[in-house]
Amino acid sequence: MLTNKRLILAHFWLAFIVFAVALVLGAWQMFVRSPLNAWHFNPELYYRSVTAHGSAMGYVFPTLIAMGFGYAITEASLEKPLVGRRWAWVGFLLVAVGAVVAMVPVSLGLASVLYTFYPPMIGNPFYYIGVVMVVVGSWIWVALTSINFTIWKRDNPGKPVPLPMFANVAGSYLWGWTAVGAALEILLQILPVALGFKSTIDAGLARVFFSWTLHAIVYFWLMPTYIAYYTIFPRAIGGRLYSDAMARISFILFVVVAMPIGVHHLFADPQVGAGFKFMHSAFTGLVALPTLLTVFTICASAEIASRLRGGRGAFGWITALPWSNPIMLATALSLVMLGFGGAGGLINMSYQLDASVHNTQWITGHFHLIFGGAIVIMYFAIAYDLWPHLTGRALESFGLMRAQLWLWFIGMIVTTFPWHYVGILGMPRRMAFYDYANPAISPQAFSVVVSAIGGFILLVSGILFMLVLIRGQFGTRGEAGAYRFSVPLHMPARIPVALNSFGLWLALMIGLTVVNYGFPIAQLMVLNETSVPAVYVGASR
Amino acid sequence: MATETEHSPGEAVTARIERRWATLSIIIVGLLVGMAAYIGIHQATMPQGHVETADPKTLHLAGEFIESNLGSAVEADGSVTVRAIGQQYSFTPQCVVVPSETPVTFRATSADVVHGFLIEGTNINTMLVPGYVSALQVRFKAPGEHMMPCQEFCGIGHQGMWGKVKVVDKAAFLNMAAAKRRLTCVD
Amino acid sequence: MSDQPLVSLRNPWFVAGVGITVGIAAFSAVVGLIWLPLAQPDLKLSGIWDAICSAAGVPRATVQDASIKPEFRTSNVVMTSEMLTKPDQVSIGRGATLSQRCAICHGPQGVSDANSPNLAGQFAAVTYKELNDFKAGARVSVVMSPFAAAISDQDMKDVAAYYAYLPRVPSNNLNAGLPAPAIVVTGAPMRNIPPCGSCHGDIDNKAGSPWLGGQSAVYIKAQLQSLASGARRNDISQQMRNVARQMTPEEIDQAARYYAAQP
Repeated sequence: MLTNKRLILAHFWLAFIVFAVALVLGAWQMFVRSPLNAWHFNPELYYRSVTAHGSAMGYVFPTLIAMGFGYAITEASLEKPLVGRRWAWVGFLLVAVGAVVAMVPVSLGLASVLYTFYPPMIGNPFYYIGVVMVVVGSWIWVALTSINFTIWKRDNPGKPVPLPMFANVAGSYLWGWTAVGAALEILLQILPVALGFKSTIDAGLARVFFSWTLHAIVYFWLMPTYIAYYTIFPRAIGGRLYSDAMARISFILFVVVAMPIGVHHLFADPQVGAGFKFMHSAFTGLVALPTLLTVFTICASAEIASRLRGGRGAFGWITALPWSNPIMLATALSLVMLGFGGAGGLINMSYQLDASVHNTQWITGHFHLIFGGAIVIMYFAIAYDLWPHLTGRALESFGLMRAQLWLWFIGMIVTTFPWHYVGILGMPRRMAFYDYANPAISPQAFSVVVSAIGGFILLVSGILFMLVLIRGQFGTRGEAGAYRFSVPLHMPARIPVALNSFGLWLALMIGLTVVNYGFPIAQLMVLNETSVPAVYVGASR
Repeated sequence: MATETEHSPGEAVTARIERRWATLSIIIVGLLVGMAAYIGIHQATMPQGHVETADPKTLHLAGEFIESNLGSAVEADGSVTVRAIGQQYSFTPQCVVVPSETPVTFRATSADVVHGFLIEGTNINTMLVPGYVSALQVRFKAPGEHMMPCQEFCGIGHQGMWGKVKVVDKAAFLNMAAAKRRLTCVD
Repeated sequence: MSDQPLVSLRNPWFVAGVGITVGIAAFSAVVGLIWLPLAQPDLKLSGIWDAICSAAGVPRATVQDASIKPEFRTSNVVMTSEMLTKPDQVSIGRGATLSQRCAICHGPQGVSDANSPNLAGQFAAVTYKELNDFKAGARVSVVMSPFAAAISDQDMKDVAAYYAYLPRVPSNNLNAGLPAPAIVVTGAPMRNIPPCGSCHGDIDNKAGSPWLGGQSAVYIKAQLQSLASGARRNDISQQMRNVARQMTPEEIDQAARYYAAQP
């Protein structure tokens, strides 16, 4: 039962418009830095574009998807209208206005600091203010999700919370807490300097704060994808979810261990002690656990669907899956990319292996494969699945959808595999251009060209995606029926209170954060001599 | 765990398979973390052991990062210490010279913003954060030349921040060191 | 749903959840903070407490070996990005009076045809730093060194503020249509030459880097040559020598001619 369709649709449309713009920028970046382009251009334009691309893709796009999909889950799984509809619109407006406020200085070249901020470089204050507005807007969603969850539990004592809502709440709590790191960095450190109240900043501390957000934000991006795996995929292919309890455990594991692991982004940093690097490394290993569990559950759910359709044999059942169904295709392609990306992630997780790839193009390849690949392809699937319920019109172009998904997959592989490779060769990240004529890096030129071609394939896929959605707005009207989620194979009659509530897990999440981050942050905060002069970017000539 | 008692045999089977997989997953993760710790100890690639600070504003006025003290120095124990700084948009020394088959300690910091310190073709890869000293111990196997780009966005000129490392034969290096106390391969 | 309380030792989820989390945290803390540091002999730790402190990241003082002292004077100016960026009127006024001494070479309005630098509209931090370096002997000039020897710190700030306040005057050689040479637009990345404008203000400004537009080509060329040869060494930690020494004579010519023609 979706009552606030316009609210949800507004989130999705804005998300995909932002995505489309950022995708064009991304493809342009791939081109200008490749040997296909004679590199006679102002490098500032490149960094400006990277800042816009990163901020849009990292902060605005996934946040809007999580919010829009989250409201849809709240209404459809709890089967009642959203409580706090007005506030939801306020949150949406904050994100939308924040995105504009942030993008104006970026597009004027006044804040080319990349979306990871990089103090002591300091850009125009409105960039940071815009980012804060986006985050505050999303916190309204966190609060509304929690309120709707609490009200439903109060009205339905003793009943298990539907899995989609349970996962949605997990994602919102994870985000609510993980966004605190970057918020502290901006509010306590960057904004006072950007606004001129202070002129020094501790870059080391800022990096620690940012790492608090930087890793778990990936799991926040991942949440809608995992929710789609568990609650849309089995239903869409006519099967059952293998296990409801294991799904809940996976989401709980994300809440508890996704957060206190961010220091693995700082393995090579001099301001964090080696002991804390090891502790974060150990917990980073643990965060592979929910993903391994998920892969099992989803593959098992697919097998159930296939056997119900008459699939046979140890592997023969794979051919009996409904491959023409876009959701089936998207999920399979997503899992393949998750597999490759996850394997790369296990390499980044260890200090010893990370040293050979840290801040090389390997890392760029890694997170594009995970986020741009495994995660975003499921955002497409979610949109395809949800659209008829939101617009009241059928999506008819299944062939176009399949072509779009395949192109996205191929494009992402063609883009990221050469990226990984040149990373191993030592190609550094975030450079506007490279002199490929130089023999020291000329062996990388071919791979970079291939990678740029991948970027164009992705652009084509993105255009097809927008086309499908736009055609959907003008398709034939038809009642799509109630929006439903998948049903587990064995519906548990009773579930333990721990798998139906978050009190314990939130306590562990916060407790672990204090253990893993408390000391490094506290000791850098009391260290005065490491506050260094700000370096203002895009200042007047 | 505690609730699955009075259910169908099918459910017991699914739960059993699931538990096996979960156990296997835990073993995989444990193995990976254990491997990281073991290799760290036995191959001596552990993160920097101490946190040290340095004031980026005054590096050029006093202390170990003054201009005349940058470069490679032979220590009493025969090891080599290389001191370097990163700044917008170059490393000083711009060209680092080191001997092969010798323990080398890099000590480096930043004079302004965050920079990266990467020597291509090796596992030498660290961050230079203003306010802190990065130190790492390495050993170059064979003579040769490596590029040394800054791997972290440090401003509009970042793409032009490439230094060089020349690894020379140990004996040749010691010859050079006899004439000069801080070595570089600049000019 | 089970109605047992969440926080209870009889709730296996509570016991397992808290127990496993605390167990892993404690185990990884012991390994990371005690065992691993002690297993590395080259850290030279004095005991468990020292191991914990250093692995936790408590900063320690650097053991200072004797540094090699320079054979020449280096700049002793502490540059920051916000240095002298907030001019005050009194300072500008005093600077106007003081600057009369400079007019003979640098022109009454800070613009000169005598191949000495134009100072009108120059960043205050730049003028201040160069005066300082002349005074300290880090930069040497037969003309400027004697002038700077007697000037006080406040006077330098005032003169710098005055010149920064003056409007940049289009140079006599203005030719804005002159195409920018590659060395200016993109530099030569593999030779460690970034685009000139990434420091000198046309794209972004690095503290202490002068505005070059309209300067005499002869002057720019002479400075690049002396930085390249090491005759001039007052750029902090070789930041400009690193660039200049990598430039070819043709590139130096091109850059000097280009900037002389810019506003």
